[in-house]
Parts: sequence; C-alpha cells; structure tokens
Amino acid sequence: MQVSMKRKAVLTLSNGSWLEGKLIGAPLVSSGELVFTTAMVGYNETLSDPSFFGQILIFSYPLIGNYGVPPMSGMDTVPGLESDKIHASAVIMTQDSVTAYHWNTITTVDEWLKQHGVPGIIGIDTRELIHKVRDSNKLLGIITPENSEGSRILHPKLSDFNHSNFFDPSTYEVTPLVSTPTKKIIGKGKTRIGLIDCGVKWNIIRNLLRMECEIELLPSDTDLSKIDCQGWVISNGPGDPQNTGDLKSKIFKLYKETRPILGICMGNQIMGLAAGATTERLIHGHRGHNQPVYMFGTNKAFMTSQNHGYVVSKQTLPEEWKPWFINVNDGSIEGIAHIEKPFWGVQFHPEAAGGPCDTRWIFDDFIKAVQRGQK
Amino acid sequence: MPIFDFLKRTDGKTPKVIVLGSGALSIGQAGEFDYSGAQALKALEEEGIQTVLINPNIATIQTDTTDKRKTYLYPVKAHWVEKIIKEEKPDGILAGFGGQTGLNCVLELDEQGILEKYNVKNLGTCIDSLRMTEDRQLFADAMKSIDMPIPPSSAVTNVNEALKAAKQIGYPLIIRAAYALGGLGSGFANSDDELTKIVKAALNFSPQVLLEKSLEGWEEIEYEVMRDVEGNVITICNMENIDPLGVHTGDSIVIAPSQTLTDNEFQTLRNASIKIVNRINILGECNVQFALDPNSNRFYVIEVNARLSRSSALASKATGYPIAYIAAKLVSGYNLMELYNPVTGKTKAFFEPAMDYVVIKIPRWDLRKFSGASRKLGSSMKSVGEVMAIGRNFAETLQKAVRMASENAIGLSITTRFKNSTVDELISEVQYPTDERLLALVECFRRKIDIERLHNVCKIDKWFLKKIEEIVGIENEIIQTFEALIKKVNVSADRELYNILEDMLFLISKETWLHWKKNGFSDRQILTLILRNLPELDEIKAKSNDEKYLQKLFFLVRRIRIKNNIKPVVKKIDTTAAEYPTPSNYLYTTYEGTSSDTVPFDAGKNPVIILGSGAYRIGSSVEFDWCGVKCTDYLKNNNTQTIVINCNPETVSTDYSNSDKLYFEEITTERVLDIYDFENPKGIINSMGGQLPNVLTETIAMGGVKLLGHSAETIDLAENREKFSALLDKIGVDQPRWRNIKTKKELDDFITEVGFPILVRPSFVLSGTAMKVANTPEALREYMDRATSISPEHPVVISEFLQDYREIELDGVAHNGNILITFMTEHLENAGIHSGDATLIYPPQKLYIETARKVKQAGTLIAKELKLNGPFNIQFLAASNKIKVIECNARASRSFPFISKVTGINLAEISAKVFLAGLTGDEKLNPPAFDEYNLACVGVKAPMFSFARLDGADPILGVEMSSTGEVGCLGNNFEEALLLSLEATNVKVPKKGVLISSGRLHEKIKILDCVEILEKLNIPLYATEGTAKFLDEHGHKVQALGWPEEKDKTTVIDVIREGKVDFVINVPKNLEKQEMQHGAEIRKNAIKHGMSLITTAEMATAFLRALENYDDFIANHKPVLLPIQRNT
Repeated sequence: MQVSMKRKAVLTLSNGSWLEGKLIGAPLVSSGELVFTTAMVGYNETLSDPSFFGQILIFSYPLIGNYGVPPMSGMDTVPGLESDKIHASAVIMTQDSVTAYHWNTITTVDEWLKQHGVPGIIGIDTRELIHKVRDSNKLLGIITPENSEGSRILHPKLSDFNHSNFFDPSTYEVTPLVSTPTKKIIGKGKTRIGLIDCGVKWNIIRNLLRMECEIELLPSDTDLSKIDCQGWVISNGPGDPQNTGDLKSKIFKLYKETRPILGICMGNQIMGLAAGATTERLIHGHRGHNQPVYMFGTNKAFMTSQNHGYVVSKQTLPEEWKPWFINVNDGSIEGIAHIEKPFWGVQFHPEAAGGPCDTRWIFDDFIKAVQRGQK
Repeated sequence: MPIFDFLKRTDGKTPKVIVLGSGALSIGQAGEFDYSGAQALKALEEEGIQTVLINPNIATIQTDTTDKRKTYLYPVKAHWVEKIIKEEKPDGILAGFGGQTGLNCVLELDEQGILEKYNVKNLGTCIDSLRMTEDRQLFADAMKSIDMPIPPSSAVTNVNEALKAAKQIGYPLIIRAAYALGGLGSGFANSDDELTKIVKAALNFSPQVLLEKSLEGWEEIEYEVMRDVEGNVITICNMENIDPLGVHTGDSIVIAPSQTLTDNEFQTLRNASIKIVNRINILGECNVQFALDPNSNRFYVIEVNARLSRSSALASKATGYPIAYIAAKLVSGYNLMELYNPVTGKTKAFFEPAMDYVVIKIPRWDLRKFSGASRKLGSSMKSVGEVMAIGRNFAETLQKAVRMASENAIGLSITTRFKNSTVDELISEVQYPTDERLLALVECFRRKIDIERLHNVCKIDKWFLKKIEEIVGIENEIIQTFEALIKKVNVSADRELYNILEDMLFLISKETWLHWKKNGFSDRQILTLILRNLPELDEIKAKSNDEKYLQKLFFLVRRIRIKNNIKPVVKKIDTTAAEYPTPSNYLYTTYEGTSSDTVPFDAGKNPVIILGSGAYRIGSSVEFDWCGVKCTDYLKNNNTQTIVINCNPETVSTDYSNSDKLYFEEITTERVLDIYDFENPKGIINSMGGQLPNVLTETIAMGGVKLLGHSAETIDLAENREKFSALLDKIGVDQPRWRNIKTKKELDDFITEVGFPILVRPSFVLSGTAMKVANTPEALREYMDRATSISPEHPVVISEFLQDYREIELDGVAHNGNILITFMTEHLENAGIHSGDATLIYPPQKLYIETARKVKQAGTLIAKELKLNGPFNIQFLAASNKIKVIECNARASRSFPFISKVTGINLAEISAKVFLAGLTGDEKLNPPAFDEYNLACVGVKAPMFSFARLDGADPILGVEMSSTGEVGCLGNNFEEALLLSLEATNVKVPKKGVLISSGRLHEKIKILDCVEILEKLNIPLYATEGTAKFLDEHGHKVQALGWPEEKDKTTVIDVIREGKVDFVINVPKNLEKQEMQHGAEIRKNAIKHGMSLITTAEMATAFLRALENYDDFIANHKPVLLPIQRNT
C-alpha cells in the first residue's frame, strides 16, 4: 500500500554498510551522527529538541506519528513542541502513521518533516540498526533519497556543507547555531533568571515561568558580567561540551559569586568543565524516558528523561564538588553539586517533555534558593 | 539480608509466611493468579522463607508441596485460614497475590482480630490502605485530599438512598457492588427503573453499592505501578483499552503501550498514578485505572487495585518485567535499587521497561457455550480467558491476536460472520458491543462505511478504526492481485487447482509477499481469499473441496513463500528496547525486520519444542498449563533444551524463566512450522497442552516435524470416530452404539434400532458447535433443521445416550503401547454430564472391583492396539459390571494434576520420560511403584461455575461443558473432601431454607434420604407441587409452591426473591426443551440471588449426607497437608 508507493531511500553508514528503506519527509540528502531513543511517546518533543542538532535520530519504538503534530504553541504555553523547528538531521523509524488523530493535532509527522526540510527513512529493521549503533563507538550516516532534490540545510551558517560527506556534530562548535541570536525577556516576575541558551528546550522556560520568574534569555556568547539577575540557568544543547568556546571560563567566573546556578544536561557538563573536571563520551549515550538515577548517598531514586552522549568524569570532580545524582545502571554522574555554594547541575532533564516529570521539584528548589538569596 | 526484621527469626527457626491463593478459576479471576502466586512463592522461598500456601485450586502450578512450601488445598475463607494459622504459626501472611479472594480474606482476618491474635504480620500494603482502595467512600476522601478527580459518585446501602443519589449525580449512571471482583453485580442505568433493578441485584452480592457518573465513551487507560519501602516509584507499563469505557477492561481489547496518548497525556496520568500510590502508601504493586476525555486533557481516576491483577500479569508478559516476583521482594523488605532486572541480569529493578514492539490482548469469550447467555458486553466481565500477541506493527499484532483467540480464525479479515447483515444491523453491532464487535467493524469497512460514522457510535479512537480499515484494504488488494493474476494463467477445466494456484503464486513479487506478511496475513488466510473470491475457480474447486486437499494447497502457499525467502525473523523482548545487550530468552516473531536476535540451540543439546494450551477457555484451562510446565521442568533438568510456544499471558508457562526459550506466539500450523524450521529441534511435544496443540498433529506432521510421544497415526486413530470404533470392535471392547449418518434413511434406521434419547454432534467437532441430546423425534428434527443438514459431505454423528450409567475415567501414561501407570477416577454424577463439569473422586468410593478390573483390562488392550506412547485418558460408562468406552484422548487430560497431586505420582513427569525416551531411543522405562489402597486421604475435584456473570444463561449441566474452573480438596474421608471442595466453589451450607423441585421418580426417592437430614437440621423445606406431593406421601411435610406462572399462589420465585430459601435443589426430569424452560426460571433466579444451586440428585444426596456430621467436622477437623510428590 503506502509503502510501495513511496520513493526508496538509502542509509549509508560510516562503517561501510548500507540499508535501504522508504522515504518520508523531505526528499533531501542529509547526514549526521546516528543516535537512538527508546522513548515510546513524545516524538514531536524529541524531534524539536535542539539537543538533537546534527544527529540522525532512530526511534526504537516502531509506531511513530499516531497522534500527529500539535500546532506551533510558543515557548511559554502548553507543551508539545520544544522549539520552533526540527533540529535532527534526519529520522529513522519502523513505521509512520499516515493518518493522525488527536483533538490537538494539525498535521502528520510526514508533512511536518516536509515543512522543515527534514528527510526520514521508514521500513528498515530499526532494532538491528540500534544493535549496530550500540555496539560501535560512533556511527555516522547519510540518508540519500532516490531522485533527491537537494540537501538538508542544517543551519544557514552550514548551508555550504556537502551532505555527501558524513556530518559529525562533535567536530563543530554547534552551540551558537542553536542559541538565541539576541537577548530576550520572557515573562514577568520578581525572580530574575539569566538563562544561558545553549539550545534550550522550551519546557525549561515553561517551568521557570511556572515559578513566576522573569527570564532573560541569553545567547551563549553573552558577556555574563553585565547581566542583572538573581540566578543562572545554563540550558541543554547539542554537541561536545568541550567544543563550546569560552563558555566554561565565563561560568568559572560565576563560581566566585554566590548567585545560584542550575545547569541542565549540556549546562551540567559545562559546569563540570568550569569546575575543573573533564567530560567524556559515553560508550552508548543515555537517550530515553526510562533512565534511573539516585540521589548520591541516599536510597532515593528517580525516573528521568535523558538525552546525552557525554558525561562529567567521576574521578575528575574536584574536592569542592560532589556528585548529586548517579545513574543506577552504569554508575555515571547524573548531577553535580557544590559542597557549599548553591551551584547544581543535572545531567538529565527535570523539565521532561518528553518523559517523566519526577524531578520537576529541582526547579522549585532552585527558585526557592534564588529567592532566599534575594532576601 | 535486606528483608524485614520480623522475617528474620532470632530463635534459629525458618521464618514462615502464609500465601493466599485465589481459588478456582472463574470469570474475573483466572490463571493470572497462578502466575503471580507462583512468582511470589519463588521470590520468598529464595529468601529462605518457608511458605505455606492456601489454595484449593489443585490444577495450578503453585499448589505443590516441596521442601520449601507446604500446600493446603482449602477454601480461602477466614475460618480455614485461622485453623491453618493455628497449626503452622506463621510470621506473616501475603494476600495481594491471590486476587480479590485473597484480599477479601485478609481484610476479614483483620476484622475478626485473627491476625492480631496470632501475631501474624500482613506483608505489603497495610490493611488500612487496602480498605482505602476497597471502600468507595474512603477512596473518594483519599483522592480528594490529593486533588485527584474522581467521577461524582455516592455509596448507598439501599434502593431509596440510590434513587436520591441518582437525582444529585444525574443519569447515565454506572452501578457497582463494593468488594466484588471483576465487576460482579454491576451495570448501567439510564432511569429510576433500571437503577432500582440493578441496585437490588447488586445488594445480593455486597452490602454496599456505588453509583457513579457514567463516563461511557471516554478512553480507558491503566498504569501498573510499583513502590518500595523507601517510597521509590516506577510505572512498569501503561495500557490503552481499544474499547472505550463502558466495556469492562477484562472484556476489552487492550494495547500496550498506549498508542493515541501524547507525551503530555501519558505523563499527566503517570504523575497521577504516582501521586495516588504515594497517598495510599502502597508497598509492592498497584494498578490504577483512568478515564481520559478524548477531546481534552480532562481525566478521572476510576479505580485502584492494591494487589496483583489480570492487568499486572499482562503488563509483566507485555514488558518482560516480572512484576509479581519483584513485588514479592519489595514486600519482604528490599528496595528497587537492591534488586536486578532479571531480563538483563545487570541493570537494576528500578527501571521502566521500554518496548520496541506492541502487544495486543484479546479476550476469549465462550458465550455460545452457555445456553441463553446474553452476548452483550458491559460493565460486568464475561470473558473466560485471553491471549496476547506481540508484533512490530498494529496489523501484524492484531491479526496474530485474532488467530490466537479462536482456533477457527485464520486472520481478522477473513470473517463472513456479518456478511448478510444490513448496514443498520452492523451499526447496531458496533454501537452495542458484543464479543463480535471487531468482526462487525471489518464488515463495516468492507461496505465502505466511513470512520467518522463508526467513531460516532462506538467512540473507539479513530486511529484504531483507521488501522482496522487498512487491514480490510489489504484484504482487498490481495483479492485484486489474484483477480488480475488469474487472467494470466491457464484455467482450463481439466487442470488441477493445485497447478493453477502454483502458477499464480509464482507471479507474486517478493515485495508483495512481504507487504502481505508484514500486515499479518497468514498463508491460510491468503489461500482462503483466493479460493473464495475467484469465480473462475468455482468449477475446478468443486472437484477438490476436502480438508486434505486444502492442506495440500496450504503447503503450496507456504512452499512458494519460503522459496521467495519470506520468513519471519525472531526478536527478543529485553525490557530495554535494545539499549543494552541482554541474554533474554523471551522471543516473538515478526515480518517487520530483517535479522533475528537469537540463534538456534546446538543439536547436541537436545532442543525440544513444547506446545502450550493457548487461551484459557471452557474445557482447556490451567490444568494443561500445569501439564506443560511440569513436563518442561523435567526435560529442562534432564539434558534437554526446552523451547515453549504459548500465547496466553495468564500462564506460568509463559514465564520466560521456566524454559530455555519462550516464544510468545501463535499455536497454529504456520507459526509452529516457522519456529520449527528456525530452531531445527529434535522434536515437538503436542500432547501436554490439551486439544489445541493436539488438533495440529496431522498438519505439523505433514510439515515434517518429529512428534515426541504418540505418533500422528495413533492420534488419528483415537480422534477419528470411525477408525476408533472399528478398533474397539476388533479388540472386543464395548461402546455405546453410534453411527456416522449421511442420509435421512440412515438416521431413521438408527433411531429404530436404538430409540431415544440420542446424542447428536456434527462430525467436525469444533468449539461452539454444540452437541445436543434429543429425547423425542421432534427435538431431533428441530436440532437438525437448525444446526445442520445431513449430507455425505457433512455427516452427523449420532450415538445412543445412556442414562443411569456411572462414569469412570482412566488416566495414565503408556510407552510403546505398554501401560506404565494408570489411575481410575469415578464421577459422582451419573453419565450425561460433561466430564469437565462432573465431580471427580479419587480413589473411587463405589466401584466394584470387577468393574475396575474390566476398565483396567480395556485400557491395556486399547493402549496396545493404538500403540499409545505418552499420556492418555479413556472415558468409560459402567453399569452392573458392564463397561462401554466413550472416548480415548491420546494426550494429557484435565485430571492429570488432580491425580498426580492426590497420589503423589507425577503423570506429567512420567510423560516427559516417555518423550525423552523417544529422543534417546530408550526401550525400557520402569513403571513407578504405587499402591492405590494405601493412601492417606481421599480427593474430590469439583467444578466451579461462573453463571452469576452470564446474564440469561441457564445454569444447568449437560453434555456441553460450562464450568470455568475447578478445585480439588483432600479429606480424611470422602465426605470431608466433598464438603471442602464445595465450600471452595462457593456452595454454601443451607441455613434459611431449601427449595426442592422435580426429578424423575427414582431421583425423588434418592432425595427422600436428604429430606430426613434436612429435617434433623431443622431447615424449612419448600418444594414444587409434584415434589411436595411425593414427599407428603412419604410422610414429609414441606410447603408446596406454585410455578412462576401461577400468579395466584406463592411461587418458587417468590421464596427465592424474598430470601426465604438460600439453597436450591433443582433436578430436571430430562433435557427436553419444555422441561428445561420450566426449571430455568428457578435456576436463573437462584443464581441471580446468590444462592447455592444443585442440579443432580447424586450431588444433592452426597452433599446432604455429608452435612450430617458438618458441625463436628468444622469444629474438629485438623487440616490435611498436600503430600509431597515422590520422584518417579
């Protein structure tokens, strides 16, 4: 039926092998690092998450698109989308839903991908492919549709990138590509938060707004010394944390003060680097809605949403810092905290969207700490 | 050890925990509790805890006495549990793994102060919390305190309160009885009249009735949640009911994970689940059910089950996460981070499984087995079992599930059930759901009725409707493909159908094949679509229309498909969606993939496939799971690699830790051969799973498999009536006269010869094709007109129906035609009642030694002649030392676990030895030594009926089986065992009054005895006029009552309704329609009002005689422990 009418598309892998499937989305060539997520819901949140910039996202869950895509909501309203575009280079799934039904849907995944110039492949054995990704240190891929009509443009600044070559996001400084180009004030409130945008998910903003904050959204290269705020949030974002310019030295300067800082995902890694620790690449990244962490030194455990390929190395954490959360399965660091000052980083996503919201209290506690500092 | 202090004894003794089982399988509470209980027992026993199991369900896997477990086959009732507590002095009690029965029992034990008196700690969620989930008002208050929305409702205790509450809430209303399992006594009401009726009925089951705003049409979503002693919470799985609210979740088609929920909706409900279990302070496992508005974010909390449930078993099988096992560890003190996820072996139990496949559960209904039962689905559960299919897309999974749920289905789209219905009829079928709504939807899509229209009447999410429509679309594509192909091949009349088909199949592209198979179309389904839809083939088809030829064509389709290299791949269920490498042995097959996750076992390790029993259904239930599991256990421990195929999520056999590999798959010829081809095992065992795998014998043998045990010829000889009959004649064993009738004349001749009554059955005995007894020519004519027409192609088997015979069964195991061991059981009831509904006694109490000799001798001869080589069961009629064979099953029987446990000789294990001998070539097996006169106790197996749930069904016993489960109890004598087994099947001792009616003269005479006992017990007696007159003539004063239609008198129905009697004995004179209708009102009313009902004179006399010493028995009986089974 629909499968046989679609054009073919080939996925070429950096290990020399290739797979053939059918094209969905835009008929464009696109390349990136292959990553997979085991989440069973929230494909729209995931695809619009800027942290997937430059990556080809494989959904392990086979049926994607059942409830369609919600209308563009904006960063300050209801959840559903995490930015205004699809950041992933391309997507791979078993089957997309040709029709979508939900009271809040306006289009199908296929149409949405087309609108954003993103190609995708369906009808390949995603489980087999995930085995390959899992078992290799890094796998890059190129999706080539039959009769392609050009190349995916990852970003205007990368418009001359030739997608017949493998795009490896870790070799680029990608943060400026996903960060807000200009400062923006969002919301009104007594608590002023400086939000350093490394590719922020809108649900971080929504959570801060929920706590009645006034947010100053800052480009990642902002001179932080000139910002008037009571607390800092360093956002999530794509790329290798070591490839983020001088951001870590700017954060290092903030450590001399006592204004509370909360780092999330990339933000956590940058905080670790600024503290003097190093980061390393995980053999296979944590991406999914079922990543267990526990609070260091307790038996209290939380289910978290995660999406990271890098991690702060445990043994390099300086003395004035301690692990805050630990991954239950592989023992890696899932959060760090300063032993005295109100500086916290979490490797997972307390803002969820998609995934479990069991650690949403971290925003509440952080804002309370900011407000305490205010008094 | 991280277990609780009270489970660590300081006196050096082993800590002891009582585990409550759920008793007999019944609608609403079935095999899932054997699975959860078995896992809990394993988890506790691993911690060095001595377990004491109380469960009268002798057919379960859990009820074995071992060195770590003592089993008491007693009713799960507070007074028996107290006796056993006194005897065993346990430290704790575990109730949450025994369904609603276990939960209700522990609440009662607590209320009566028994737990406190004997210092027994309740393991898991505390009693106060359990009450909070069971008492609607406490629950409402708790939900209110955490801002959880619940549907507006009110708890009432009488009709007036109900009417008042209805005014406030507004109709439509749903009515539920508190403390009842599976929605018993519940219903929907749109008016005061309907409300009054339902509330009155519900009050018979429960002192408290809940009225609630009806949310019919809302989406129904469930979450399975676990919480540990540290307060850590995870949700294992969410499940979406495809049937929206209005159909009981046990009767709904369910998919996991949810398909139509956004992340926001998924998380909102997950958050709510967590908030709820924290508030209720759950320790262990909990199920939360929600109603979600399909048009907004609004939701309500519907129900919380603070125990293991049908859904938790389904979630365990769906995800691979062993919920019950982990829950049992949690209630003994572990936290989730101290435990490992057994599937991965290295990640922790604090984890939420990720699925990279979908599962669909379809219930198995057997409503046609119950004469008069309403097929409408609603808030009270009616299904008797379920299946679960796993696949990587919706179409594949749904079609698998449809095939699993019914042995006759070859796929979803093939149905012709509603072919002749009008559009209005179809819409009505879709709007007012029955067990066939899915089939009606298929027909709707064939007629191009649009999704919007269907959605408006049934409220099923449009996504699901669309997916079903797509399957029908592919059915159409297949037909069109062949319509085009037939024009390209030579269809001249002198050609064989086989060759024409072969020509066409060769022209199908690989891509097309794959497309069909990916969408779940079976080979047989494709074949049927071709044969049914190409008029060009009609003439040629007429020449070759028998089942044998069809099988040949099936193998043709299969061969050409495989030639195209279109084969399913094997994938693992690993809980992590491939994130971590896992050693998981939990497998399914799919066409949505290109590589397999597993490799076959080495041939040197003796891989063997064991076929399970499929869905629990009337006639095939947990007893066959026991057979399969025990056989697998033995093989696994004896140098064999076991590969189990089964598709029933309620079973222990589908616990992947019980076999070396588990395929959660269809038990169909196609799939069994697919797996056989992939695994290339040494052989296949199909005689331990009841009739379902047994009927595959011929086709899988054609497919080239090696059968372990009976040969295909043996099974054919036993199953084919004509051949078997000839065989009996040859060896001189008598049988009731019978004939395979092909013409009207043959019928008349036969009747002239044997007279009435006679037993009629279509020769292709399939489920749902009713056997009937005809007493008169009129009845016979009526049956023939309605059910079948006689013709040489469709013969009808008719046999003489012998009444007043006793029935005896011979169960055993043979090796190469020689009997290794046999046991005789005796039916309490006379012949004429299906052996599955009869009460069985071991050892027999009233059998002449000479009859026994003849039965055993006949068994020996039959075994030799049939060359039986494995488990078997032969049924006999006996009277005046004459015996007649009714049938022989060349497979394990329903009685295997009962006999094995009462005698201590494990028949499944002996069968396994025979299978193993088939592998190793062993010629000689030693029969186990056994002295049947040297037994410590008497066992009685009694059937459990679920008539209370089956609106309109006549609760009468006959040649068609209608029990949904069974118990088996042990006593120091027959009477004790009988009393226990009847109490365990909810037959209550009469207190208020007994109503006696009807029966033939000699049955009336039998009952005379009982009347004297009842008089001694001072119980008021009522009888229908004829019976009253008879009793009066024999000097017994009873109150005579009118029949229901005699409005001027006090009628039988009046005394039932008014509660003047609590026990009804109603013995029909015969099985004629008129007689049946007469009594049916009495029987239906008795069930509706929660009374005990006995419909045979044999049972009535046996029970009432046993009651003579009842008080003494209750006061002084010392519980009998189920003896440990010997190694054979």
